[in-house]
Amino acid sequence: MEVKLDKQYPLDVDAERAWTLLNDLKAVAGCMPGAQITEQLGEGSYKGAIKIKVGPAVAQFAGQVDVLETVPAERKMVMRGKGADKGGSSASMDLTAVIVADPANPAHCVLNGSASVIVNGKFAQFGGRMMVQVSDMILAQFVENFRQTALSLPAPASAAPAASATADRPTAEAAPAASHAAPKVASELNGLAIFWALLKNWVSSLFGKRT
Amino acid sequence: MNAPILSAEARELALAGMGASRLRKEDARFIQGKGNYVDDIKMAGMLHMDIVRAPVAHARIKRINKEAALAMPGVHAVLTAEDLKPLKLHWMPTLAGDVQAVLADGKVHFQMQEVAIVIADDRYIAADAAAAVEVEYEELEAVIDPYAALQPGAPVIREDLAGKTEGAHGKRDHHNHIFTWDAGDKAAADAAFANAPVTVSQHMYYPRVHPCPLETCGCVASFDPIRGELTTYITSQAPHVVRTVVSMLSGIPESKVRIVSPDIGGGFGNKVGIYPGYVCAIVASIVLGRPVKWVEDRMENISSTAFARDYHMDGELAATPDGKILGLRVNVIADHGAFDACADPTKFPAGMFHICSGSYDIPAAHCSVKGVYTNKTPGGVAYRCSFRVTEAVYLIERMVDVLAQKLNMDKAEIRAKNFIQKEQFPYTSAFGFEYDSGDYQTALTKVLDAVDYPALRAEQAAKRADPDSPTLMGIGLVTFTEVVGAGPSKICDILGVGMFDSCEIRIHPTGSAIARMGTITQGQGHQTTYAQIIATELGIPSEVIQVEEGDTSTAPYGLGTYGSRSTPVAGAAIAMAARKIHAKARKIAAHMLEVNEADLDWEVDRFKVKGDDAKFKTMAEVAWQAYHQPPAGLEPGLEAVHYYDPPNFTFPFGIYLCVLDIDRATGETKIRRFYALDDCGTRINPMIIEGQIHGGLTEGFAVAMGQQMPYDAQGNLLGNTLMDYFLPTAVETPHWETDHTVTPSPHHPIGAKGVAESPHVGSIPTFTAAIVDAFAHKGVTHLDMPHSAFRVWKSLKQHGLNL
Repeated sequence: MEVKLDKQYPLDVDAERAWTLLNDLKAVAGCMPGAQITEQLGEGSYKGAIKIKVGPAVAQFAGQVDVLETVPAERKMVMRGKGADKGGSSASMDLTAVIVADPANPAHCVLNGSASVIVNGKFAQFGGRMMVQVSDMILAQFVENFRQTALSLPAPASAAPAASATADRPTAEAAPAASHAAPKVASELNGLAIFWALLKNWVSSLFGKRT
Repeated sequence: MNAPILSAEARELALAGMGASRLRKEDARFIQGKGNYVDDIKMAGMLHMDIVRAPVAHARIKRINKEAALAMPGVHAVLTAEDLKPLKLHWMPTLAGDVQAVLADGKVHFQMQEVAIVIADDRYIAADAAAAVEVEYEELEAVIDPYAALQPGAPVIREDLAGKTEGAHGKRDHHNHIFTWDAGDKAAADAAFANAPVTVSQHMYYPRVHPCPLETCGCVASFDPIRGELTTYITSQAPHVVRTVVSMLSGIPESKVRIVSPDIGGGFGNKVGIYPGYVCAIVASIVLGRPVKWVEDRMENISSTAFARDYHMDGELAATPDGKILGLRVNVIADHGAFDACADPTKFPAGMFHICSGSYDIPAAHCSVKGVYTNKTPGGVAYRCSFRVTEAVYLIERMVDVLAQKLNMDKAEIRAKNFIQKEQFPYTSAFGFEYDSGDYQTALTKVLDAVDYPALRAEQAAKRADPDSPTLMGIGLVTFTEVVGAGPSKICDILGVGMFDSCEIRIHPTGSAIARMGTITQGQGHQTTYAQIIATELGIPSEVIQVEEGDTSTAPYGLGTYGSRSTPVAGAAIAMAARKIHAKARKIAAHMLEVNEADLDWEVDRFKVKGDDAKFKTMAEVAWQAYHQPPAGLEPGLEAVHYYDPPNFTFPFGIYLCVLDIDRATGETKIRRFYALDDCGTRINPMIIEGQIHGGLTEGFAVAMGQQMPYDAQGNLLGNTLMDYFLPTAVETPHWETDHTVTPSPHHPIGAKGVAESPHVGSIPTFTAAIVDAFAHKGVTHLDMPHSAFRVWKSLKQHGLNL
């Protein structure tokens, strides 16, 4: 089944630091609950793994992430991820992420993500009806981790002018530093937490405004 | 033998024969939990099987690693197509002339297809081991839409058929094309349309649904390596056909194969086919020399065993301006899934779809059905209907409504205008069916009077005029004719075996009896009703008549129970076998009473000497004589076998009317009234008929209002649990009102036509008609099922009717 996601996350992080972090795929993966980069295959190409447990469906996806396009001037990155697990689920995702500076507040930015996710196999069968909600939760956790990691990067204002000038080409050294600074996240998604959050969302939707 | 002298009426009542609302013999064991289903069977040394299934709809299998599974304690074997190849059992024939992979042979064709089996000490170990079998897939593009499947560049689903341009039913013109089947006269139909003053057309999709019996499919296979005998307990609606197929596949002589259908928890067409799971369990038992049990779970049942329907239909009617139908044309794209595994009579790949001229006198008609492969589960069985009759009735009943709306005619009036008239029977339709009997107008008048039809239409008009009405009111009317009781063996066979059915009756010396049948009850109450036919025919109380079915070692060969064929075919076989016995009994009675046979009258339970009520012999007395001292020249005993080959189908009909109210705010539908009049010819047990009708209406309600099998674009079935798949309970089910007329079949020995499927066939278009009727004033001519609240609400919104 196919799920299209189009999300805007306002962050209290300046655009430059967010963009720096976004370019460090290993660190970005660290922000994704249950995900990790296991091997670099080449320029912009990585092997990775992610473990997700939703109700009766557990998926341990192993796959590949490729950066298809990086446009520093627009702070835009296009990626494709593909993976499969031993139980016979597979997933692919085309993701376009853009960091947009907040003109009113240079210390803030917006992370725009639009993705098309195709999930196949058991995970689609059993987890299908919760896909959108679960994706929302995973992304919310991801964004929070991303925000904290980005904030832990050296702020551009206090950095040397030279560093500032090359801010949209991240230095090789900056990235691992970011990885180290990343807050510890659960190595897999906590099913119970997701369940409670889903329940909460559902109950509040019953009393919420109908759209 | 000194029974008190009772009147003939009192004695007839005591027999509890035809017409008696006798309580079901089966229920005593079922309500006490004493039924004996396949999963109740336990055998010494029995092992358990589970199936590794494909998670994706279309893929190549790159590698299967059994090691982890085989290493688990308690696992006896893991088998794949490679293991079945030396036995030539990795593929098997289907009932429709195609072949089907028993275990995926290098390629997966649909999600949940059988890929490997695991045999273990218990069900839990088998399930764990099945999960431990690693299969590596290379995914291929899945084709889910049959129209897309017929595009020139569509992915090839069946590589095994490469280059095969001739299928089981004629030419194949595309790699995903199975057959094209035509009926009627195309030239005549085209001519009717060319000159017609009025024509209408409508596209409609009859969704893929699943019969979903409460008991899933399964078997216990037990091969005795010493005797070379195979016994299999199986959930089958046709055990004798299973025996023939198993013998053909395994090479074991049919005399050493015993198939037993024990108590069956509902079939509805789902248990007609032969599934890979059965074959695998049998192979495993032969290989391991131990009994092997396989019982599928609910998700396996819904995902991998036979579905029903999935017809994309285009109908057209030509008519005069005053509503007289001149011609009918129908084109169907039939989605059969990855293998053609329908269970239709061999010559009819679209079953009896050509009953689609319905109850109407249509001079010219033509239909064409194109079967197509897709990456979906195989099937296309008759879900509580005769072969494809549900689809046909849906089509014609919808089309008549579409025409009525175009002409601004009342939907009852247009039907009456086009009915085949009572005096036209036997009536030969434009498609060549010979309708046996019917009286549609009398039945229609009865229903319209019962519900006060004009008052309902007036109420509807008032509601439509009121913009503040919280509900929309819809009235659905359907006047359907079914074709059941397949069928005459000159045109109907399954795998070459004619579609007769059989009965063997033995009268015991003390006057009780046993009847053995080629059919098998799955809830129809055969043990009750069959005994009633014998009771009336032979004057033996039904209480002392045992009915046995389902064991191929004791029962005479029969084609089984589906397509409403039990009463029309096996019921006739009972009457004919009983009449053979009756003829012999008359000879014996004449001998006992020392008169000529011609001097005897039959009365309820006895032969009487004409003109002398005191001189008589009861059937029980005759039976004793038959074993004690038969007349010279007559062989002892009192028994008979009859194989009944029906001369024609039977044509039950019904008039159904539904009144419903749609909540304009939520789209929820409340069935206010459902009035079902059925004419099934002679009625054997009115109480059982009532139960059959309630059951069929409820399943019809399920299909129309909620059942669907939602496949996504990748071929994932997103609703294969009872959380998603709608099975109505007492909570959702509306109140049913039933009624009847009786128009016996002139060619059937007791005039019975069959009833269990009419309520399903007839009610589905009635619900749709009522829903559409609620929107008719907005120009809506058709809405596809299921009519779930969300879908109805979307229609409300689209037409500006939502609150």
